[in-house]
Formats: sequence, C-alpha cells, structure tokens
Amino acid sequence: MSELLNTLMQDARVWQGHRHTQTTQPAEPTGYQVLDNQLGGLGWPRGALSECLLDAPGIGELHLLLPLIQRVGGEGKSVFWLNPPHTPYAPALAREGVNLDQVVLIHTEDEADFLWTLENCLRSPVTGLVMAWPGKLAAREVRRLQLAAEAGSNVCVLFRERHYAEQNSPAALRLELEPGDQQDLKVKVLKRRGSWPGQCCSLAMAQRADLAFRETTRVVRGPWSGSTG
Amino acid sequence: MLWLYLHFPHLVLDHIRRSREDQGALVVVEGSGQKVIQACPDAREQGIHRGMRLKTAISLAPDLGMVRADETQEARILEDQARWLYRYAAHIVLVPPDGLLAEIGSLQKLYGGLPAVWQTVEQGLNERRLNAWIGIGYTPLAARLIARAGKGECTADKGHILRALSQMPLLAAEFNQKACTRLQRLGLNTLGEVFALPASELARRLSPELLAYIQKIQGARPDPRAPWQPPHSFRQQADFVQEIEHTQGLLFPLQRMLAELEEDLCWRQQDTDSLRLVLRHRHSEPTRLQIRTSGPEHRADNFLNLIRLRLEQHSLSAPVISMALVVKRFLSREAPSGQDLLGETRDLNEAWHTLVSRLQARLGDQALRQLSPQADHRPERAWSASEVLRKTGTPLVPATELPRRPLWLLNGPQPLTEAPVTWFSGPERISGGWWDGQRVHRDYYIAQLNSGQLAWVFRDAREGWFVHGWFG
Repeated sequence: MSELLNTLMQDARVWQGHRHTQTTQPAEPTGYQVLDNQLGGLGWPRGALSECLLDAPGIGELHLLLPLIQRVGGEGKSVFWLNPPHTPYAPALAREGVNLDQVVLIHTEDEADFLWTLENCLRSPVTGLVMAWPGKLAAREVRRLQLAAEAGSNVCVLFRERHYAEQNSPAALRLELEPGDQQDLKVKVLKRRGSWPGQCCSLAMAQRADLAFRETTRVVRGPWSGSTG
Repeated sequence: MLWLYLHFPHLVLDHIRRSREDQGALVVVEGSGQKVIQACPDAREQGIHRGMRLKTAISLAPDLGMVRADETQEARILEDQARWLYRYAAHIVLVPPDGLLAEIGSLQKLYGGLPAVWQTVEQGLNERRLNAWIGIGYTPLAARLIARAGKGECTADKGHILRALSQMPLLAAEFNQKACTRLQRLGLNTLGEVFALPASELARRLSPELLAYIQKIQGARPDPRAPWQPPHSFRQQADFVQEIEHTQGLLFPLQRMLAELEEDLCWRQQDTDSLRLVLRHRHSEPTRLQIRTSGPEHRADNFLNLIRLRLEQHSLSAPVISMALVVKRFLSREAPSGQDLLGETRDLNEAWHTLVSRLQARLGDQALRQLSPQADHRPERAWSASEVLRKTGTPLVPATELPRRPLWLLNGPQPLTEAPVTWFSGPERISGGWWDGQRVHRDYYIAQLNSGQLAWVFRDAREGWFVHGWFG
C-alpha cells in the first residue's frame, strides 16, 4: 500500500466499509427466512417506503406480501390497497386466512388524490400496511411520500414498473422481482438502507397454485377439438 | 307560578350579526322596503332610528347593511332561542314575534335561588351575543309588561312587582288604542289607577275584554299557556347581508353553527353521522351537501374538517345568501367499551373513523370498498364489494375447503393472445347460472405464459380462450 494511503488510513480520513456498524431500524419480517437473511435479518422497513419493481402481475408478488397481510389483519390493523391494477379476489384471500374486514380497497381519480390518500393512510395509527400502485411518480413525489411514511410507523409498498430500477428513488428498500424457471420468484435487492445492495435470492412460490402436488401429465384436454388461441 | 319573560328588542339584527365577521351599521327594513323597523346601535349612533324612511337612512349612512324582515324567518329565529333556553327551563312559551316566556318558579330550588336562575339566563344570552330585556312577574302578562318596559329586576317580591306595574304608564300597558284613549279621558294615567277601579264598573263602562286583560295581568283570571315542545331535529341557519362568494367565507359562520350543534348533541347525549348543509343562492337552485362520517360523532372540529374537505372539492356554483345546517339522524352515544384499562382500542376505533371519514369526504363514498366472498360458483360472482364498515369480530378461520383461486381477478375475462408455455392443472369445469340468465360454462386451467406469469385461463364453450386471473 502506498505511503499516501497509509497516512490517510491512520488519520482515519477514509471510511472503511468492512468496519461499519450495523444500523437498526424498525422492520417487519417478510415471512420468508431466505429473504429476511438477505435483508440483514430485518424485513420490510417500517416508517419508510419500499418499492417492488416488476414487469407484470402474476409472478407471485402478492404472495411475497401475504405473510405480512395475514399478520397485520390478525392484529386488527387495516391493509389498504390503493389503485390495484386488478381486483383482489376475495375467496382466494379468505382461503389464505386474510382478515377481509381489515382489507380496504381505495380507488382514486387523479394523481393529487392518490398522493393525498396515501399520505393520510400512512399517517394514521390504524394502518398496518399500505400497498399502492402509482402510475407515474416524479422523484419529488416519491420524496414526499417517503416523508409521509416517516411520520407514521407503517409498512408501505409501492408496486412500480421495472424500468424505474434505473431511476433514483428515496425509498428505503427497493426490490426487483422476476419470475424464475420453477414458478419461483427471483428477488434482487437494488437498494437497502444501512447496508450494501446487490443480494439475490429465489423464493419458492409454486404453492400459490398448488403446483407442487400436481404433475403436468394430469392436464386433461378440453372436450372440444382445436388448439389454443 | 313565577314567569320570566325575555324580550328581544332586535332579534333579527342579533341573528345576522352573529354570522358576520365585519361589524358595520345594520338595519332591518319592513317587507315593502320602505321603512326601518330595527336599527343596531352602530346605526343609531349615525342618527338612524325606528320608523325612519329607508331613503333617509341611506343618505345618513351610505354603507348601511340592510336586511328585509320576513315573518317566517323571524319565527324561526325565535324558535332557535327557545331551543337553547329549553336546556335551562322546561315550560317555555313562544310569544311571537320577539318574546319568550319561561316558567321559573319551579327552577329556583334546582339552581339555588332566583339570582342564580337570572344569572344562568344572562350568561346564556351573553354567550350567544343576544340583546334581551328580562322581566319577572307572577303572571305571563305581568312579566311581559315589565320586560318590555325595561324595568325588570331580579326579585320575586310580590309587592315590589306590583309597585313596578302600578307605576307603569297606560301607553306601556299595551291596551288597544281605543281603550287607551277612553281610560285617558277618564283621567287615568298609570296602570295602578286602573287596578284600583272596581271590576264590575270597568266591565260596564269599558268592555268585558278589557277587564279580562287587566285581571290576567293581576292574576285574578287564569291565563293558560301551552308549553312549547322542542323539535326532534337540529336546524341552524345563517343569513348573510352580503353574498358570500368563496367557501372560505362560509367557514366562519359554520364554526359557530357546529359549536351549537356540538352543544346540542352533548345536551341530548347523542351523536350523529350525517349532516345536511343547504346553501341557498339568489337565482339558482339551492346546493345541498350531505356530509357523512363513518361513525357516531359529535365534535365540531371533526365536522368542520370534513366540511372543509368537501368544500375544497366542490367550488361554489353561485354566491350564497344563506346557509342552513340540518341534522335529523341521531344515534345514541356509545359508552366507551371498557375492554382494556388504558382505552387503546377506543383510540384505534376513533382513528379509524376519522381516517375513513376524511377519505370519503374527499374521494366520495364509492371510492372505498370492502371485499367479501359470496356463495356462488361463478368466479365473477363469488365476491362482492360493499361499503366500508368497522367490524371488530373475530378474524375468519382460513377457509381451506374453498377451491384454489388466483389472488388477482381481472375485471373481465381478457382474450388469451399467446399459447401458454406450460400447462399445470385442469380442467376444472364451472357451469352454472342457468337460473338467472347469466349462463357460464367454462373449463379452467392453470398455465404459465411466456412472460413467466401464472395465469388462470379458461375455455368457453363458444367463444374460445380467455385469461381470468393471475396467481399474484
């Protein structure tokens, strides 16, 4: 090592990454041990924004949050679904043991209402979890939401399109979600507060359609002739 | 029986001034708009007095505020006063157009003496910034005459009251014009001199009606009065001298009205969950706003916040000349559930109602929905959305006997545009709806698409392949 670097190190003018102290922040376990390990044993940060970036629904993104939804509903706190792209299907939620009394669906007309609603939900003590599907959000608005999230101590998850991964975001946790080959969900940590990003893991999600117990050969063709399409 | 009479010398003026921020000279003009019938102290200082022609008044004070008196309006304002007085006295009689009569003999013990009753009433008047002359008498008419002469004193001494009545000039005794002239021709000047005349002579020389009137004042003849019953609804109205063009201007009078509502609800020991606000315009149809809270509420601040949100969303279509607040729905107040010592659950309940009311006030009632499963085989009918209600029941046990379904249901089936990569399970035949015409005959499969999405696809008997849900 050069003389210059040695001097800098001895003066403690250079921060050395391997010696960083672990910051603690309030968080909710995700319910997936593998993912919790990647997130420093914590999980979804409370009082901060989390982002899930994905291309299309149907890859297990709701199952990623399902353990938290079940827990929050059981504690008597509300789960707000803000502008979901499709209808959350009540029989499926009931089957998973989600307390439907605590599930509130909100539809807003325009962006101003969306931000206002999200802020109000985040600040309320009755909220346990807010899941929001914003259309386009400017960085300034994400910052505003981050501040609102800090005012409360709730988990807030924004579902956004994957191309936003290249953009900066003040969210405390950013996860990129991709479907895997075995109907699993590949999670890549793009950013997390207080530590290094870049971890990857794969969560088994095949149980969401009972696929583990079924074989492809069990598929029976319909009674009608003709191919798909 | 001891009666207390409240005479409001300019009730309409007081009413108008209460919902005005800027104070200026103000007069009430009669229906035809020719004559001043009430003038506020400011106006009187500028030389305007009762009976003056309006043109003269305007030339004296060019920026004079004018209100046209209206009989129904006056009656309504008087009833407003009866409503708050009813909190202190049970037996109240309305004496239109400007008087209220309350039986207070039975209240002395409750309040601890006549001075305490007097003070309570005066305090009530001050709080509402009302000008009133108070009189006490042993008959309704005696109390009225004393109050209207402005000679009211806080005493129940019979001799004292009688002396006050006796010294009253005939003009103040409210005889009709003809009787008054005849009595004066007889050389009588005060009421005391009339009292001294023998009754039979009075009836013979003047009229039996006059005798009856005098005996009613003295208490020698019964003068029954039917007590007023408070209505089962709350109604407050603010009338504006100048039209209000901005919602901001409505908030000041609203604050006072809501404070009265809160007081009224507290006094009734009740809550409400819907208010009606009617904004009247000069030329167009009134605007009616329904403000709903998600739970029982009585606090003025919370109502005001909701109304403010609502008014921010709906700008005024036309300037407002008057505003009425009506509450017809009352709910009994719930005792705080004493489940836990620190009352945490109650706070959460309240926070929940506050949040949901706020969201509904801005987004509309339809924007918030709650989901529940329904007993139907058809996927699009196996769920329903309903209005948000606070339920604190036990959470559902996982209904594992339900068939496997996707977490996302599309708002309507979408055509399947590509051949799936992998097929997993199926078919699950769902056929039904022959009973209500919404026939469904489908075979459902679980399949994975090229993009990696796990889809719930079906094949319809007639139309082909569709995606109906995503396994999110």
